[in-house]
Amino acid sequence: MNDVERPAVEGAVIDLERLIEMANQIGDFFAPYPPERAREGLRNHLRTYWDPRMRNALLEHIDAGGDGLDIRVIDAAQLLREKAADKSGYYGPPQA
Amino acid sequence: MPNPRKPERETITICAYCGVGCGFKAETIGNEIVRMTPWKEGKANHGHSCVKGRFAYDYWCHPDRIKTPMIRDSIEEPWREVDWDEAFAHAARELKRIQGKYGRSSVGGVSSSRCTNEEIFLTQKFVRAVLGNNNIDNCARICHSPTQFGLSATVGAGAASQHFDSILQADVIMVVGANPTEGHPVFGSMMKRRIRQGAKLIVIDPRRTETVDSPHCRADVHLALRPGTNVAILNSIAHVIVRENRHDPEFIKSRCEWQEFEHWAELVGSEEYSPDKIGPVAGVDPEDIRRAARIYSTGPRSTIYYGLGVTEHSQGSTGVMCLGNLGLACGMYGREGVGVNPLRGQGNVQGGSCLGSWPHVFSGYRFVTDDATRKSFEAEWGVELDSEPGLRLPNMFDAALTGHFKGMYIMGEDPVQSDPNQNHIIAALRNMECVIVHDLFLNETSKFAHVFLPGSSSLEKDGTFTSAERRIGRVRQVVEPLAGYQDWEVTMKLMNAMGYDVEYAHAGEVLDELARLSPAYSGASFELIDRVGSVQWPVNSDAPEGTEVLHTQEFPRANGLGTFMLTGFVPTRERVSDQYPLLLTTGRILTQYNVGTQTRRTANSQWHPEDVLEMSLGDMQTRGLRDGDSVTITSRFGSTRLKVVESVRVNPGVVYTTFHHAETKANAVTSDLSDWATNCPEYKVTAVEVTKVTSSKQCQAKTSVTRPAQRERQVEEIAVVEEVST
Repeated sequence: MNDVERPAVEGAVIDLERLIEMANQIGDFFAPYPPERAREGLRNHLRTYWDPRMRNALLEHIDAGGDGLDIRVIDAAQLLREKAADKSGYYGPPQA
Repeated sequence: MPNPRKPERETITICAYCGVGCGFKAETIGNEIVRMTPWKEGKANHGHSCVKGRFAYDYWCHPDRIKTPMIRDSIEEPWREVDWDEAFAHAARELKRIQGKYGRSSVGGVSSSRCTNEEIFLTQKFVRAVLGNNNIDNCARICHSPTQFGLSATVGAGAASQHFDSILQADVIMVVGANPTEGHPVFGSMMKRRIRQGAKLIVIDPRRTETVDSPHCRADVHLALRPGTNVAILNSIAHVIVRENRHDPEFIKSRCEWQEFEHWAELVGSEEYSPDKIGPVAGVDPEDIRRAARIYSTGPRSTIYYGLGVTEHSQGSTGVMCLGNLGLACGMYGREGVGVNPLRGQGNVQGGSCLGSWPHVFSGYRFVTDDATRKSFEAEWGVELDSEPGLRLPNMFDAALTGHFKGMYIMGEDPVQSDPNQNHIIAALRNMECVIVHDLFLNETSKFAHVFLPGSSSLEKDGTFTSAERRIGRVRQVVEPLAGYQDWEVTMKLMNAMGYDVEYAHAGEVLDELARLSPAYSGASFELIDRVGSVQWPVNSDAPEGTEVLHTQEFPRANGLGTFMLTGFVPTRERVSDQYPLLLTTGRILTQYNVGTQTRRTANSQWHPEDVLEMSLGDMQTRGLRDGDSVTITSRFGSTRLKVVESVRVNPGVVYTTFHHAETKANAVTSDLSDWATNCPEYKVTAVEVTKVTSSKQCQAKTSVTRPAQRERQVEEIAVVEEVST
């Protein structure tokens, strides 16, 4: 990519409260799926639709205790770390 | 009345308004348009038109049009007129400076569905190839992004499954959250024709719309649900279908993922979604839910048309999935007279969606994270591209507030007026260092802009539009661009000024490039469209003249099968309370178009000089209101002022307004809640209270406690801009 450095701006890219709300809404959607599939669905959604800075802010918030986050989101974010190399997105029901 | 002057020339083009995409003959004398007549060969309209396309075209030469580029160093300064070269150089210098200081991802762009496919494609190319990130979005984000998401998930293609004419084969027509007789009138007329021939009509809409009851149009069942309960109602309809074995096992077994069907049937078949449970939640008679389910599943050819009443909710994408699920469960896909079809608001929303103005997908809905796809674009464009998804439009504004997003190219959009929670948007724009507005008129957003690039209307340029029925048609230049350039040329020259060397002799060359990079458009060209009139995608070697009905053999998913998504009902957080006991929802009227930028600058304004608030008699009486009273509408987010009128079209507890006039400021009250999947704003559900304005002083924005103090000042500042003469 070109040589412009990443930003020197501090802090979460989006207000944390808003980010938490968005993440929990995604958690609510996948709630009817069996737990393993819900995790994968959540992970895939965050991986495919969230700017990396938004994902990082979420992960950092989880490292700091994850206050306000649905347990499903915290679980799925773990998968985001474990499968960091898997970038491919897909449409449709969660796999796994 | 004098005889009309005899036109010297006629040019076939497409209407600039709704997603029906009517063909028109623009008749001119010199550089003056004297008449627009509907084109008999137009495959969407067959010679019909509505009062907007036929008469509302004079905006193109309205005195408000800006013809010279302008720049300024800060938004406190007045605009300074400059020549094009200086404007491009200034914009390029600023974008580079910002990227140097805040990083590559600190800038982005948004394109409009009033622009052509070629312009939308070029805007994404500008952001991806020149700015070097994926911070590119389009206005479908705030209307039909859930369509792309929800239909892609279930049937693999985020677009209408049918052509408009297909409705003439339908036995049952289900309209959900749309009012085609007003919003898509030429299609609405075709729908009425079929109803006159005996087709049954089911309408799901909080309001007794003209589609529910007007000449030639009467719903057999109207579910006047409470705003925000679409998913509950649609699941309940599915409940009846599954419990009464009204689904189509043969179709599901041969065309769908059977196991996913079983999961879905278990969810919607549960007691939770029985009509007796959901009826009271949604405020409808359980028996009506059963009747709707029985009529839809009986068919034999049932079709669904839906609009923003489905998508603009916190569960917008889930609502669209519900419709996909229903169509699949009853075998209503893959032939004439059936299907699931979004009615799109703007002339080119489908094109805006197809051509890669999204932060996560290239044209053809292929993920930026996919290496093979990205490489095909890198090969064509000669630069390395970002492999991570970018910021979506609302995320850009959010990131501007935290100082991470500093510059933006806004092509043909007015986020301050059209995006939700107006004050949030204004604060975000104030935090940016270079806002480039490319538009016909100065608008609300340009008050916060640093560069203004004058745009060209669709009467002044060449290109293509893709209508709501996937129809790609030619926009042809009728008159010379007032500011000298067609919009695609402006984007190209901005790319050049940034140091990216690219040259197109005409818009057809951009179409050729996008056809190479978008599978569904691979066969499209000016030459083909000139020859056959218009084509519906996919247009490719298998379908050289396009495709009318999708999914006839298989669904465009990896295994070729349709699938079912689990659509649990999650009530929106926006709820009524003692303080805000009414639900506000919004819609449109026949003679005006969206926020009115175009139609209000024509004589059409005489039919609809102002927006009014519709309210039931009971709600008016308890508040001591009379017809024509001025009222203040207050939500948790802000307030605005309108005239109230008694209406039998809304149920008690629900109020309704159109949003065609800037003074209405509907978005001063709308919330910033959004769809879980796409961030499409929840425009259709806002808890409000309505109070009588007793003196003129009182109407001056008394806003709720959640609004920062500075907001009031900003609202007052922007209140007047859009005043226009008619």
